[in-house]
Amino acid sequence: MVVALFSSCKKDEPEPDNEEELITTLIYTLTPENGGTSVVFTFRDLDGDGGEVPVIVNGVLAANTTYDTEIQLLNEAETPTEVITTEVKEEGDEHQLFYSQTVDLDMSFAYVDVDDNGDPIGIVTKLETGVASSGMYKITLRHEPNKSATGVSSGDITNAGGSTDIEVTFDVIIQ
Amino acid sequence: MKALLVVLFSFVITSSFSQHCSITIKGHLYDTATEEPLEFANLLLEENLQGAASDIDGHFELENVCPGDYHLRVSHIGCETQTFFFQIKNDTNLHIHLNHSSELLDEVLVHGHEEDHSSAVSATIDEQQISKSANENLADLLSSIAGVATLSNGAGISKPIVHGLFGNRITILNNEVEQAGQQWGNDHAPEIDPFVANHLSVVKGAAALEYGGSNLGSIILVEPGNISDDPHLHGQLNYIYNSNGRGSNFNTQFEQKLAAFSWKLTTTFKNQGDSKSSSYFLRNTGRREANVALQLEKHWSSSWATNFYYSYFSTTIGILRGSHIGNTTDLSLALEKEVPFFTEEKFSREIDAPKQEVAHHLAKFEAKYLISENKALKLIFASQLNDRKEFDIRRGGRSETPALSLSQWAHSFDAKYSQESANNLLLKGGLQLRLKDNTNVPGTGFNPLIPDFRKSSIAAYAITQKDLENVLLELGARIEQQSLLAFPITNTVPKEVLREERNFTNYSLSAGLKYSVNEALSINLNTGLAQRSPEVNELYSNGLHQGVSGIERGNANLQPELSLKSIISIDYKWKNKALLNILAYYQNVDDFIYLEPQREFELTIRGAFPLFLYRQTKARIYGLDANFHFEPTKHLRMNLKYAYIKGIDVTNDQGLLNIPGNNANFEINYFSDLQGKFIRNFQLGAEVQHQNQQKDISVDQDFALPPEAYTLLNFKTAFDIHIGKDELKCAITLKNALNLKYRDYLNRLRYFADDLGRNIVFRVNYKF
Repeated sequence: MVVALFSSCKKDEPEPDNEEELITTLIYTLTPENGGTSVVFTFRDLDGDGGEVPVIVNGVLAANTTYDTEIQLLNEAETPTEVITTEVKEEGDEHQLFYSQTVDLDMSFAYVDVDDNGDPIGIVTKLETGVASSGMYKITLRHEPNKSATGVSSGDITNAGGSTDIEVTFDVIIQ
Repeated sequence: MKALLVVLFSFVITSSFSQHCSITIKGHLYDTATEEPLEFANLLLEENLQGAASDIDGHFELENVCPGDYHLRVSHIGCETQTFFFQIKNDTNLHIHLNHSSELLDEVLVHGHEEDHSSAVSATIDEQQISKSANENLADLLSSIAGVATLSNGAGISKPIVHGLFGNRITILNNEVEQAGQQWGNDHAPEIDPFVANHLSVVKGAAALEYGGSNLGSIILVEPGNISDDPHLHGQLNYIYNSNGRGSNFNTQFEQKLAAFSWKLTTTFKNQGDSKSSSYFLRNTGRREANVALQLEKHWSSSWATNFYYSYFSTTIGILRGSHIGNTTDLSLALEKEVPFFTEEKFSREIDAPKQEVAHHLAKFEAKYLISENKALKLIFASQLNDRKEFDIRRGGRSETPALSLSQWAHSFDAKYSQESANNLLLKGGLQLRLKDNTNVPGTGFNPLIPDFRKSSIAAYAITQKDLENVLLELGARIEQQSLLAFPITNTVPKEVLREERNFTNYSLSAGLKYSVNEALSINLNTGLAQRSPEVNELYSNGLHQGVSGIERGNANLQPELSLKSIISIDYKWKNKALLNILAYYQNVDDFIYLEPQREFELTIRGAFPLFLYRQTKARIYGLDANFHFEPTKHLRMNLKYAYIKGIDVTNDQGLLNIPGNNANFEINYFSDLQGKFIRNFQLGAEVQHQNQQKDISVDQDFALPPEAYTLLNFKTAFDIHIGKDELKCAITLKNALNLKYRDYLNRLRYFADDLGRNIVFRVNYKF
């Protein structure tokens, strides 16, 4: 009887879960303030952690130009595509995007959007380029950072804490 | 207070007819270990408060006793007070054996049952020690044994390491049932309430044949005691308060022998807030626990008995908020930080994500049948249900949705047969069936780290023991057939569900010898060959292991590990004064499964992660456990322990991970003669714990090098308070008395925070 009980169980095949929280895609769009063609940087990793390597598209910026920038976060593994940016905006006080660059790159950014407490979120920024140069530009999304820590609201990530949801580095050329 | 005692009590009653209320109870008290009489023991008949003391020959006398049911309470310096029930009709002569000190006793006596008589070497923690520190986890309690360490994730989660091995490589037997659940996880603690245990033992073995499981030698036994033979309701209440974490621990135990059956019920509640390091609170490190265990026993006749056991364990454990990291940048930031992120000024009892919620049910039915005087059969059927939910800090209000949710059923059936022949030949044999069914509960929103699977196994073993005067010889063999069906899910687009089947046949062999050279000296030799097939996490895990910030990938082609371990243990007992035990072991494991960090990093949207692959190598672990116990006078006990261990990855010529550094421990306890009206059995003790740095790990093996050596100082006192005929046992322990700031290599939180600061533990126990 015992043997029968041990061998009679059947195991069902599982159904894969929806990874609704997954961020597969980051689209960083820069539109010149005075009109002109937008520059688009993308980081796309449809299968999430591991698996296929992500596809990264870099862009070229014009010198001495001010850009309106916007970040778009997507989960393209879902159908239809889920826009994660909405979620980040809704929980603006729990999120902040940080932008940092290598010293050789001549440009600077400023936060535009703010959360309910008046602290920056960083989905929308202004970016001002200087002279022709090239380098790396890192975009970091922190979940639950300490926005009141020293330097954090002006964009310094050092004391922010929290956990990183996104950390993407683009190669930028200014010409 | 290791020395205090488990009990063995035996009494022989010889009686002659006597008249009403003129009965005389006479008797002798002896030390079980030495057979020496115990002088100056206090005896008290609880029913009429009649008392007596034993003389220099251990003799005592109680006169003019009326017939009836009596509880006789016996207390002796350095012994746990014991109460015995018996019915008095006539003049009675009692021979009472008390265990005086566990250190000086054979393990067999401590275990209290003959079947444990073997060549294996074990070390035990008794009930008194358990009930004094049962606010701690099982693993922390066990770590007072030389050669046992703990792998932890903060104070709330810890699992035992024996001779350098843990998790899948050791077996925990909870009431003879192999503890199921998700034991593969380094941050998954065994779901066992130490309060339920009458004693905890670690069998430092070479191959464990009698027990299933995937172990490579060592076994941890959690054994509830027998229910007392007393027809009255008895029990005990325990309360433990620990200042660090402001924790309260309540425990009640009730037991009774009814005409139809005997029962025992144990319940435990624990509630603890944030612990504190030497200088700051460790935010979100509280925990709650609620446990219940029911034992039922019925003796149908002198030849057969059944028992039923059910236990439920449930816990919610907070994990240090500052240890939640999203990627390797977060980790390196955390490593540099002196005080972890999210540290708050104020104490809190709140438990938020990251946290674990675990519930574990165990039901066991056992039947023992004595076929004839020297043949016995035992059948055990057990089922376990383990529900584990792990919560992470998530976006979009999903922190209350578990990121990992596993439900596992485990069933086991054991048939054990033993037969003793006239020529001192003992034969033991058994059959074991196991079935494990693991399911990821849908709705987590993540690809599961380990897949759904079903694993079944059938095993048979035979052991023979020959007892030749001074030598006990033992030989055994075991064969196990395992089959595994798993459904790993790929992280391709779209996802695919794979169907993987693996079958394994594992063999084990063991040989042992115990040679009692003379009264004082005995030598144990053990050697064993054991195989362990890869577990499902090693074969198919896939994904980001949040806690360690790395991508782990299983290896479906892993082969079973093959271990050869040898042990030599020497026990020397010097009169009734000192005991020296030295145990040395040497273990080679071929195809040892480990996680190898890869040179390449995997790029994800959260940055680059180190990749870890399951690989196999040749491993070697060897070491020495030493224990020296000394009682120069009856008032003083000293204990010195030392553990040396070395773990090497032979193929790659580097240290094995998670091997403790060498450590030493010295304890001295003073037992006062004081038998006052209110305060009795006063004790005072001090303990020094030293942990050496693990120096065999190189920078490219871990995110941070093992922390420096540290030395902790602890103090303790214990005493009994008498109020009328009631007795309250009190103990106060001061841990890390100097509030030393330190980090321990085997605590994962060492990357993020200091270990625990000063802690005062107050315990009170009332038995009735």
